[in-house]
Amino acid sequence: MSYPKRMTKILIAGHKKHLETTIDTLHEADMLHVEDFVEGNESDFEIGMPIKYGEEVSRKLVKVRSIANTLNIKPTENTIQLTESDISKELDVQLAQIDDEINQNSEKLSQLDVRVKEIESAEKEILPFLAFDLDLGYYSGYNKLAVFSGTASSLNESRILEITDAYQLFTDSGSKFFVLFVAKSFEKGIQSALSDMGYREMKAPNKSGYPSDIYAALEAEKSEVQAQIESLIAERTALNEKYGNFILASDEFLSILSEKAELPLRIATSEHTFIIEGWVPTSNLDDFTALVLKKTENGVYLTTLEVDLHDDKEVAKIPVAYENPKITSPMEAVVDLYSRPKYTEIDPSSILAISFPLVYGMILGDMGYALILMTLAFLVMKFMKSDSVKSLMYVLIYCQISALIFGILYGEFMGFPLAGLESHGVYTPGLIPGLETLVFDFGIVADEPLMFPLHRSHMIMTFLIGTAAFGFLHLNVGFIIGFFNIKNQHGIKLAVLEKLSWIIIEIGVIAAAVAYLLGLGNVLVGIGAVIAVIGVVMLAKGEGIKGPIELPGLLGNILSYTRIIAVGLSSIYIASTVNDIAFGGMIWTPSEGFSVMMFASILIFISGHLLNSVLSIIAPGLHALRLQYVEFFGKFYASGGKAYKPFGHLKKYILEE
Amino acid sequence: MVELTTEGIEALAKAMAIIGTGFASAWAEKVIGTAAIGAMVENEAIFGKALVLTVLPETIVIFGLVVAILI
Repeated sequence: MSYPKRMTKILIAGHKKHLETTIDTLHEADMLHVEDFVEGNESDFEIGMPIKYGEEVSRKLVKVRSIANTLNIKPTENTIQLTESDISKELDVQLAQIDDEINQNSEKLSQLDVRVKEIESAEKEILPFLAFDLDLGYYSGYNKLAVFSGTASSLNESRILEITDAYQLFTDSGSKFFVLFVAKSFEKGIQSALSDMGYREMKAPNKSGYPSDIYAALEAEKSEVQAQIESLIAERTALNEKYGNFILASDEFLSILSEKAELPLRIATSEHTFIIEGWVPTSNLDDFTALVLKKTENGVYLTTLEVDLHDDKEVAKIPVAYENPKITSPMEAVVDLYSRPKYTEIDPSSILAISFPLVYGMILGDMGYALILMTLAFLVMKFMKSDSVKSLMYVLIYCQISALIFGILYGEFMGFPLAGLESHGVYTPGLIPGLETLVFDFGIVADEPLMFPLHRSHMIMTFLIGTAAFGFLHLNVGFIIGFFNIKNQHGIKLAVLEKLSWIIIEIGVIAAAVAYLLGLGNVLVGIGAVIAVIGVVMLAKGEGIKGPIELPGLLGNILSYTRIIAVGLSSIYIASTVNDIAFGGMIWTPSEGFSVMMFASILIFISGHLLNSVLSIIAPGLHALRLQYVEFFGKFYASGGKAYKPFGHLKKYILEE
Repeated sequence: MVELTTEGIEALAKAMAIIGTGFASAWAEKVIGTAAIGAMVENEAIFGKALVLTVLPETIVIFGLVVAILI
């Protein structure tokens, strides 16, 4: 159990001539979480103006990002780090050059794109005329001939015959395209006849030569242009490789400058002075103070400020950083998924590192799946470099270790029992020949004897009681943590009334129930009841009316833990159904010996268990998580802290000088 | 005529406990899940809380299961 990292409130004040040096130092230190200054009516201070170079930096940053966008430059892990001075020296020249190259490239590219579009539309125009082997020059330039070319929805040659027989008609059987040559004197009549037939004109392109020749020439030009386009795109990829590293580094370089330039917008300034307020981890305070005073040559005044930890408004401003040993730190991701702890409360990460895998293991409890998923987690960790994925994989590995241990306790391997068991006259053999289940002649529930390994499907009632009891313990751990949280924030009295009262109620109810069940007499039952009532009164005093109203919820919370066996059983039944289908005699049994059906069985076995492996992450994972978030956290965890974000930058592409 | 046996009625009662609570859970989760996804589109950071709210009604069917086992 631990608290978030202790923070100290810092105030830095100085003359404005030291502002830039101070900002540079703070950025380099990467420790100060700056508290944003809010302009008030009564204060003479106001929010500062950005540093002068900010405007130019933002302009360049926009340029750099647009280049990154055009060249499709993505952040990568493998980079050659550049030094800051190299970047600032080369930035302007390089940017101009890259911009130039990109412009040339995209200008050519857009010209070629336009050319492709032109070719395509020319091809489209000529396409219908491919059906007739006529020179395109024949379609126009007559004094005494009219030419109609186009489509008609229902071409009726007899209508034309009615007007004249001096015509020549070419039709294309495939499409509705036709060409009609007719004496000029009949043009009007034919025109109106055609328009009745749904005529749509398609003029022949104003060219000469055979359509097939022209089309072939266009095609040839198109493929040539497309080849040029491809070479331009390849050129762009080459640009990406050539400048990618520099662009990423300058993006980082400019981002840092822009962060520095904009810091005055978050601090208080007057005409000649500035004040920066913020938080530094107490453990780093000495280093931080020394660094700031040294770099500014004692030009600024730095002091720590007192903070009233009982003032909720003050506490809400304190940034929260986790401080956990390496082994429990992966659980911080799980806590963050819910919400960061408040500064004054216990950070639940380390408790979660025990209770989350514990519940997960109790639900899954299968050696086979645990080994499969553990291998999977190790593989993912080997091939994925991302930190967030890594910490999730650590959580998964913790869970699988627990599942493996419970798998041994339950004696389960991929849904098969490891040890043989005789129950109600039916004998089920185990996976390991000769290993028999140890059955005791007593149990928690009358007709369910205890046994080892624990066959979950034969001890359902025992497990229902057991998981509810586990829930009861788990919730009380929550109450105890809650007790310490309240004690730290509001004092012992409220802590007793709000949290200890629950435990007193539980003790009272249990005492009364035990006395009643064992027949110890009404006096003892009464004492238990009185204790419970005292607890309720304390609770009502501590939490008001909402406390007693939540009382029945406690029973619901405890029963909720029976999902541990319920979800577990569903996983067992899926696994054993897969086993039954594969090897139970429906398709093939091992006693049949080698046959073709054996492969079908193996295929079903593998695919069924793959499906169940995936379910084995989701179902136990979600239910275990829910028990932590809803039932457990509900007893003590207020959450809602602000993440600690120091003013600084993790340098990925820039080499420290 | 169908003969009603004690075991038959017991089995029916178990089935009803599961059907009713299962349906109730599903319905409640549907409503909450839709709203949760809607809210997450606005702000992805609330995933944890959205998840908690979505799985809250699962308890209903767990109670149903407990009752079915106890019958």
